[in-house]
Amino acid sequence: MLSPAIKYTLFLLLLSLALPSPSPALDLPALIREVETRYQGVSSHALVTMEIETAHWKRTLRLESWSEGRDRFLARILEPAKEKGVATLKIENEVWNYLPKVDRVMKIPPSMMGGAWMGSHLTNDDLVKANRIDEDYTFELLEEDDAGWLIKALPRPDAPVVWGKLVYRINRTPLVPVQISYFDEEMIEIRQIHFDQVEQVGDRWIPMRMLVKPLEKAEQTLLLYQNIEFDLSLPQRLFSVRSLKRK
Amino acid sequence: MLWQMAVRNLWRNWRRTLLTMSALVISVSLLILSLGVFSGMFADMLASATQQYHGHIVISKLGYQEQRQLHDTMQYDQHVIDQLQATSDVYGVSPRLRGFGLLSRDEQTEPAELLGIEPGRERQVTSLNEMIVAGVFPEETRGNWIVLGSGLADKLEVIPGDELVFVTQAADGSIGNDLLIVRGVFKSGDFNRDNSLALVSLAWLQQLLVLPEMLHEISLSINTPMEATPVAKQLAMQFPDTMEVIDWGRLLPEMQEAIASYDVSRLILVLILYAAAGLGVLNTFFMSVLERVREFGVLLAIGMKPSSIRNLVLLESLILGGLSLLVGSGSGVLLTVLLSGDGIDLSRWMTAVTYAGGTIPPRLRAELVADNLLIPCVTLLLVSLFAGYLPARRASRLRPIAALRGD
Repeated sequence: MLSPAIKYTLFLLLLSLALPSPSPALDLPALIREVETRYQGVSSHALVTMEIETAHWKRTLRLESWSEGRDRFLARILEPAKEKGVATLKIENEVWNYLPKVDRVMKIPPSMMGGAWMGSHLTNDDLVKANRIDEDYTFELLEEDDAGWLIKALPRPDAPVVWGKLVYRINRTPLVPVQISYFDEEMIEIRQIHFDQVEQVGDRWIPMRMLVKPLEKAEQTLLLYQNIEFDLSLPQRLFSVRSLKRK
Repeated sequence: MLWQMAVRNLWRNWRRTLLTMSALVISVSLLILSLGVFSGMFADMLASATQQYHGHIVISKLGYQEQRQLHDTMQYDQHVIDQLQATSDVYGVSPRLRGFGLLSRDEQTEPAELLGIEPGRERQVTSLNEMIVAGVFPEETRGNWIVLGSGLADKLEVIPGDELVFVTQAADGSIGNDLLIVRGVFKSGDFNRDNSLALVSLAWLQQLLVLPEMLHEISLSINTPMEATPVAKQLAMQFPDTMEVIDWGRLLPEMQEAIASYDVSRLILVLILYAAAGLGVLNTFFMSVLERVREFGVLLAIGMKPSSIRNLVLLESLILGGLSLLVGSGSGVLLTVLLSGDGIDLSRWMTAVTYAGGTIPPRLRAELVADNLLIPCVTLLLVSLFAGYLPARRASRLRPIAALRGD
């Protein structure tokens, strides 16, 4: 067996060559990790428009976000004016919200991690757990063709996850996610995320549009990435509860 | 004449008659009392369950009580409220709005249910204002006050005067957040309520949730809680089909089941107690009939009809039963009345028990309910008739010659 380090190097090698032919040494966790960290890099900065539609209202938020590695993430609302300055900070498994109107920082309790993030169809859990998918799940290749892969992910028995199954459709060249389906514990499909409008940013390809669709109701959240930049140097203190409050 | 004879016969062996009577009297009066205590307990439970939260009848959008969807609202209509208040059975009318979200102070954040109320109206429906253990129950209709359950206050580590932040998603999708000042802490004894419920002003919550002039429900208290179902039916006619008028039986199905099962166990209790008492009466009358075989023989010999003999013995048992019933139910009612009102405080020996959504306070208190008097009385008459019938039949079937001979 190859050691993980060699596997990973091999995988990077494969990636850099962007080999069109199927590889017998396909490392599924590494592939998923690569897909899940598409938007992150060493660090990132982005402007995002989030359009949320529910049965009762429709609204558009403009957000500025920063990330560093997989464990640090900060997002601040720019618009609408009523919520300007509302911010979310993620450090590893914990999430804090800052509310400028009352000038308070609020830590999200574990019991509320399933709650909506900024009113969207993403949850606080999505922020936290997405980065551990390659560790929390085991993977199985369902299909492979010239276009890409279809990969099934099942949670490890002891993994602290909310889903019963995930199915990834991944595009081969460029390497980007196309669709992720989320199933609950009864294996009923609950939610889909679609990715499209792939653009090249620096040396990587990014789907600039991400559509989150819960299947039980006719609602959706659309994320549109703008001005996404990677691998810039961010001040370390940016990702701290104190700076969350300062701005 | 039969009547006179029956009384004389009873009086002839007055010791035995009195002993039998006293057994009946005690069983009737204790039965009435214990049924009264049961009723008192259930009345307390029902009162606590409805007065802590629901009220007796709740009017809301169809399906709201199951789903508690933020958008299932109705207009705050002063005219409707006044009209409800003017209904004869209705005591209190409280318009409410409900919001779920996070309450936070410093590092502590807890999920909570916020009930927006008008304090003056709410106190006529629930009695949370009497359960304040710290601070006060606010009087103002407006303002950013909050009254928390004691468990919630402990978890958030707040006391009256402290600040809390509430965050939720408003009806327009925006992030509703505001500061609240803790005004009071209540303790209802219900674990779930004390750990998750908080009261705020209706006007404040309407603004936070961006639901101006909107309500989720109108909660009512009525003068006769046990009559909630017909009252709710009556009220429902005033509202369109998109609304529902629900009585406490549907809001608290466990409570209704508990009361229904009590109705059955009440009958079983009556049967057991009276089976014993009935055997006592049966025994007495068999004895008295056997004693008087010769006497009955004489009566038959001088031409009394067997049916009259039977009626005589039956009449004796009925008089015995009737007298016991009068004395027994009298003393039973007296005992019940003595134990009604505040009852006997047992808080030194036991704490409140939460059961079927209600709280049984630590006290012995009885309540006088017509059924609790009627059921024992009717059953007692039937039992004494039955217990008298067998000996009476035996007496009427005596053959004069054999009876005179004393066989």
